[in-house]
Amino acid sequence: MSPADDSASMAEIRPCLEGAIPAMMGTCAPDGTPNIALISQVFHVDERHVALSFQFFNKTRQNILVNPHATVLVMHPVTAQFYRLSIRYLRTETQGPLFESMKAQLAGIASHSGMASVFALLGSDVYEVREIERVEGQPLPAPLPRSGMLGAVRRCSERLSRCTTLDELLNAALGTLSDTLGVRHAMVLMLDAGSGRLYTVASCGYAVSGVGSEIEMGDGVIGVAARERTPVRILHMTSAYLYSHAIRSSLRADAPGMPLDTDIPYPGLAEPHSQLAVPILSAGRLLGVLFVESPNDQQFTYEDEDVLVAVAGQLGSAIDLMQAATEAADTGVATAAAPVAGAPLLVRRFGPNDSVFINDTYLIKGVAGAIFWKLLRDHAQQGRTEFSNRELRLDPSIRLPDVTDNLEARLLLLQRRLQENSPHIRIEKTGRGRFRLAVGRPVVLEDVAG
Amino acid sequence: MAASLLTPEFIALISQGVTTIVCSRDQANRPSVMRAVGSTITPEGRTITVYLTRRSSRQLVQDIAATGSAAVVFSVPFTHRTVQVKTERARIREASPDDEPLLARYLQAMEQEVLRVGYPPSLTRAMLSHRIEDVVAVSFEPLQAFDQTPGPRAGAALGEEGAA
Repeated sequence: MSPADDSASMAEIRPCLEGAIPAMMGTCAPDGTPNIALISQVFHVDERHVALSFQFFNKTRQNILVNPHATVLVMHPVTAQFYRLSIRYLRTETQGPLFESMKAQLAGIASHSGMASVFALLGSDVYEVREIERVEGQPLPAPLPRSGMLGAVRRCSERLSRCTTLDELLNAALGTLSDTLGVRHAMVLMLDAGSGRLYTVASCGYAVSGVGSEIEMGDGVIGVAARERTPVRILHMTSAYLYSHAIRSSLRADAPGMPLDTDIPYPGLAEPHSQLAVPILSAGRLLGVLFVESPNDQQFTYEDEDVLVAVAGQLGSAIDLMQAATEAADTGVATAAAPVAGAPLLVRRFGPNDSVFINDTYLIKGVAGAIFWKLLRDHAQQGRTEFSNRELRLDPSIRLPDVTDNLEARLLLLQRRLQENSPHIRIEKTGRGRFRLAVGRPVVLEDVAG
Repeated sequence: MAASLLTPEFIALISQGVTTIVCSRDQANRPSVMRAVGSTITPEGRTITVYLTRRSSRQLVQDIAATGSAAVVFSVPFTHRTVQVKTERARIREASPDDEPLLARYLQAMEQEVLRVGYPPSLTRAMLSHRIEDVVAVSFEPLQAFDQTPGPRAGAALGEEGAA
């Protein structure tokens, strides 16, 4: 067999890099003494580079700093095909997307392999891959490739392309992930640029929708994916990245006398075993995070990650387009206002964070709270029911951070919170950039100074 | 003859048949690595023999023959209990049919070990497949031994370094 026949591509060895079977790394001291180390993970960086976890100041570490040449042995977890990578140490990263992504993934691997107590990532050692040798042996037949991953991307793309509202868009994204990848639990979170938090705007597969629940930037796989703008994929249950308790309510201390029950429960699985969070970016800006999870180990492969990154890319562009589109002429048909009857609703707003309660039940806060308050006030004072995005953008009382703020997402959040909590008040889209406030009960407004 | 560098625990670990990885280096200090298809240790722990197939380990076998230098790791997949031994004087010979029962026992032991971490015996058989006429045996007396179990004591030397 000629040398060319032995060499393999990075694509071929990607299944070996899932951390299922430890890789073995050979290094050599300057005096010629070889050394072997078991390594938790060989991380795929790109077609020419891998990164290895730097967890201890051990012999391997001493060796590569003096003699950068190393050989790594990996094995395909299904075929038992061995590959040898000739690699050369380049540098160590101690922060940033690569580091955080490896840290999250290693935490999962470490907990799965019973090594959680000794887990610590000091750095990501980046190596140039000089050659990949397919080792001669008697491997088992390769598993059939998962069919239709590209087809899944296509079907998702087609569905997203047909959507005309953010509401449809998010439903289509979650729907196709379920239909084509078998994803049962998923959510979309949007970034609130002002607070630096992510709020859930859509979800599927949970007992409660969790729309409006928040996650801090940097918390858990979702927060890390957002902060570092990198996919984070965990294959095994891990306590290090559970964040069901990381949900913050910023309300408690803000306004004395405000009702305290303001947490919107985070919808996620109580015991996720696999998680994958992908940042939603557009024109280089972070818009939010697309997140999927499963109660089973090893549910999401790098192929699922590839699909999700592609879907998140289109989602980001589409969200931005809907935001940027100028308001078309009013195409909504004016309908007679629904009859107002029944017991009055007491709607109270607490400054300074614009949290709004209906009959003492927390509804919403922040920009969406300010929008809701403006709509109800205009409705009460002027009898208005028809509104446009444009006037909200221009209204100083709403304090939209800047043009990059996602007003559509705020309105959708408000619309969904009302659907779930106060069906007597509805937001209905009447056209691009236009909507109607439908109030079915008398409303009493009370502004509580903050 | 000095006593073995290895503790009774590690002698037993190696005897039972666990993951065995072999490393050497060329004249330019470039490392070569491969998994052994078998390993054994004499009862008192003085001499270790590991088995490699030529077709999977051409560079490694060549490097051991040229330099005598070798590092070998033995690791229990389920517990990560790991020991590393090193030598500067490894000897290579062709394996013979006499070695086959030992390799068969090793395969059987590994099937059990790998099953404990969730992989079927078919994978282990593919991983350790060999034809005896392609196998070489590498024997040596460890000059250095290290407890390589991941954790705070990883890398701790066992016993005293043998005289060079």
